[in-house]
Amino acid sequence: MGNGYMGKVLIVDLGTRNITEEEIPDRIYRQYLSGMGLGAYMLYKHIPAGADPLGPDNMLGFVSGLLTGTGSLFTGRWTLVGKSPLTGGWGDANCGGTFSPAIKHCGYDGIFVRGISETPVYLYINDQGPELRDASQVWGKDTVETEAHFRKDWTGRQLGIACIGPAGEGVSLISGVSTDNGRMAARSGLGAVMGSKRLKAVVLAGNKRIVPRNRMEMKRISAICNKWVQFQPPFMTATMMAGTGALMRALPSVMAQDGLLYKMMLKKWGTVSMNQMSVEMGDSPIKNWKGSNRDWGLFKSHSSNPEAFSRCEEVKYHCYSCPLGCGGICSTTGKFQETHKPEYETVLSLGGLLLNKDIDSIFYLNELLNRAGMDSISAGHAVAFAIECYEEGVFTKKDTDGLELTWGNSEAIVSLIEKMVAREGIGHILADGVKQASLRIGKGSEAFAVHAGGQEPAMHDSRNDPGFALHYSVEPSPGKHTVGSGLYYEMFKLWQVVEGLPRVSPLYMKGSKYKADEDKAKAGAANSQFMNIVNGSGLCLFGALLGSKRIRVFDWLNAATGWTLTPQEYMAVGANVQTLRQAFNVRHGIEPKSFKVSDRALGRPIQTKGANKGRTVEIETMMRDYWLQFGWDPETGKPFHETIQELEAGL
Amino acid sequence: MAYIITNACTGCGSCSRICPTQAITGEKKKIHTIVPDLCIECGSCGRICPAGAVEDAFGIASVRMKKSAWLAPVFDLKACMACVICLDACPVGCLAVGPPEGKDPNGYPRMADLSSCLGCGLCVAGCPADAITLAPRMAP
Repeated sequence: MGNGYMGKVLIVDLGTRNITEEEIPDRIYRQYLSGMGLGAYMLYKHIPAGADPLGPDNMLGFVSGLLTGTGSLFTGRWTLVGKSPLTGGWGDANCGGTFSPAIKHCGYDGIFVRGISETPVYLYINDQGPELRDASQVWGKDTVETEAHFRKDWTGRQLGIACIGPAGEGVSLISGVSTDNGRMAARSGLGAVMGSKRLKAVVLAGNKRIVPRNRMEMKRISAICNKWVQFQPPFMTATMMAGTGALMRALPSVMAQDGLLYKMMLKKWGTVSMNQMSVEMGDSPIKNWKGSNRDWGLFKSHSSNPEAFSRCEEVKYHCYSCPLGCGGICSTTGKFQETHKPEYETVLSLGGLLLNKDIDSIFYLNELLNRAGMDSISAGHAVAFAIECYEEGVFTKKDTDGLELTWGNSEAIVSLIEKMVAREGIGHILADGVKQASLRIGKGSEAFAVHAGGQEPAMHDSRNDPGFALHYSVEPSPGKHTVGSGLYYEMFKLWQVVEGLPRVSPLYMKGSKYKADEDKAKAGAANSQFMNIVNGSGLCLFGALLGSKRIRVFDWLNAATGWTLTPQEYMAVGANVQTLRQAFNVRHGIEPKSFKVSDRALGRPIQTKGANKGRTVEIETMMRDYWLQFGWDPETGKPFHETIQELEAGL
Repeated sequence: MAYIITNACTGCGSCSRICPTQAITGEKKKIHTIVPDLCIECGSCGRICPAGAVEDAFGIASVRMKKSAWLAPVFDLKACMACVICLDACPVGCLAVGPPEGKDPNGYPRMADLSSCLGCGLCVAGCPADAITLAPRMAP
């Protein structure tokens, strides 16, 4: 009888070529789950304080989810963990595809690598065991070519492959790790860590079975979830979505969002369904966060209408165990024949953020960045930063290698990103993100670098939803949109299953969103705790947004493991993981206050027009209140010494 | 819980050749053994053994069948949610996602290589929607 997890991890030292297994005690899974939690446990234990993120002491982990492969749905995501060279602290990135079950089929919940190899290598694991092999044949190839190399002539169970492209090999601090031909674990710059270790790829061909404690119960809970996923009204149009966004902007009140509507949009179009709607409601930052929907109205954003993506979508793409299928494979013209359907984040960071209307250039850049293994959110911000530097006279045409870097100049944008991938000229300066670029350039350019602790925030405007500002600023891995916001809290509907959490009123006045109070702090802490459970389970955020009664993650966890924990007890597990990750940062010299997102993203100065006109975020109060919820020092954001001692005693 | 090979084994090697996880070892004309850690209980060794020398974890002897009589998965596409768990469950990679048909933009699983299908039913066991059944395979 199984319990959903495999009970051990693999540790590979690339320097000494020593490969060992480490048994993970059951109590650790109970304390931290797998995925993010197991990653935090391993990294806290194995990375010495002050380790260089690009040095041999850093450890990079590929961790599956506890629920992956147990008959649950939406649980095909894996977490990449390591000390981030972008922020200097805890780093994680998350990705779907088919790699997560492949880790467990090798008999491990996580694969951790440390040390630095003298020559490029890849890690191959099959039923006979792990092995480091020479990667000189694939070093220099892009991510799609690399996968093709390994899949060529392969017969047997489908391989799980995670690899870096030229960006990771060139240790670009905004590079990520790719699976399934361009699905990226993009954030935190962990591709650079893999590149610094000269580890080109992890290729998995194991056959171990994943056995949950109660498969029938898993199936029963999955059926409830699937029923909601398949509910899909036929009458929605893309223009209707844009209109809804405009209506949401105009109304003084807000209807609490139900994740079912978002699910319908995702199922029909994928994340691009938000393209115009988000701009209209003020959720998308425009023109390097200094513009507004006035600069990027319906006419200008029309080229990114969701139907434009449906027209070239050849087939929908489902990650492992996903009944929804928000992804797609699209045909393109030009150098590449097809590409993964660009995601909302990519379309807006290469579109509205740069005032770039040329959708063909976005398709091209999407594939270029996926193949290079570079984070499209950070790349878009780096270009926006460069354009503003050019506009303000910090850059001259000589500095830009002759590029006319103006807003919306798609040819210059494409050339600049090609230079970033190749680390040529100005591209070399920008390939490590906006914070590093502004430090190198100086001349007041830091005012144009929008980031949180070094990481560029995602395409969700924190002036529209202050919850994003909070999580951009307080998370151990800052600047990420995949942890929490006011909107997510509404959709998670955690108060339906967890006692003591504040309910959201079905209708409330928009102004109340900007008032920092205890309920918002509780909601923010609950988001972080819950997402640690989600990331520990390998669950997809989009699944979680269905609402806690429709997707019963706590029940799945009990059925998979045989535990009998209550939702409150699971939320305490989520809090444990958050404290461990924050303690990791403190140990590595991070001042949590320094992760506060840039002023522009907080409405400082206040915008005078557009959807977010007159809005500002009380971030200092929000951060303080949030830290109090975890019992940390509200002035510094650090867990108290006794808390850390207690935590270390339990490792 | 793994299959075992009994003393009736003649050492012909059929089982070790078909085992998708290389879990069976042994010299020619000598009794073969299954490494329990590697066995995924697909049962293909039992279905191919000419000596009836394979027993499952409950001690039930497997019965040899001609490969043309082995079962193969059939998909109920109305119940299928295209979650691709079956593709991952298949130890030989004989399933693939087909192109979308009609107005439905999703691609659904289909048999891509019947000759390599072991009829093991691991796709059936993994399917959370009960959308797969095993049925006599069609002649290729």
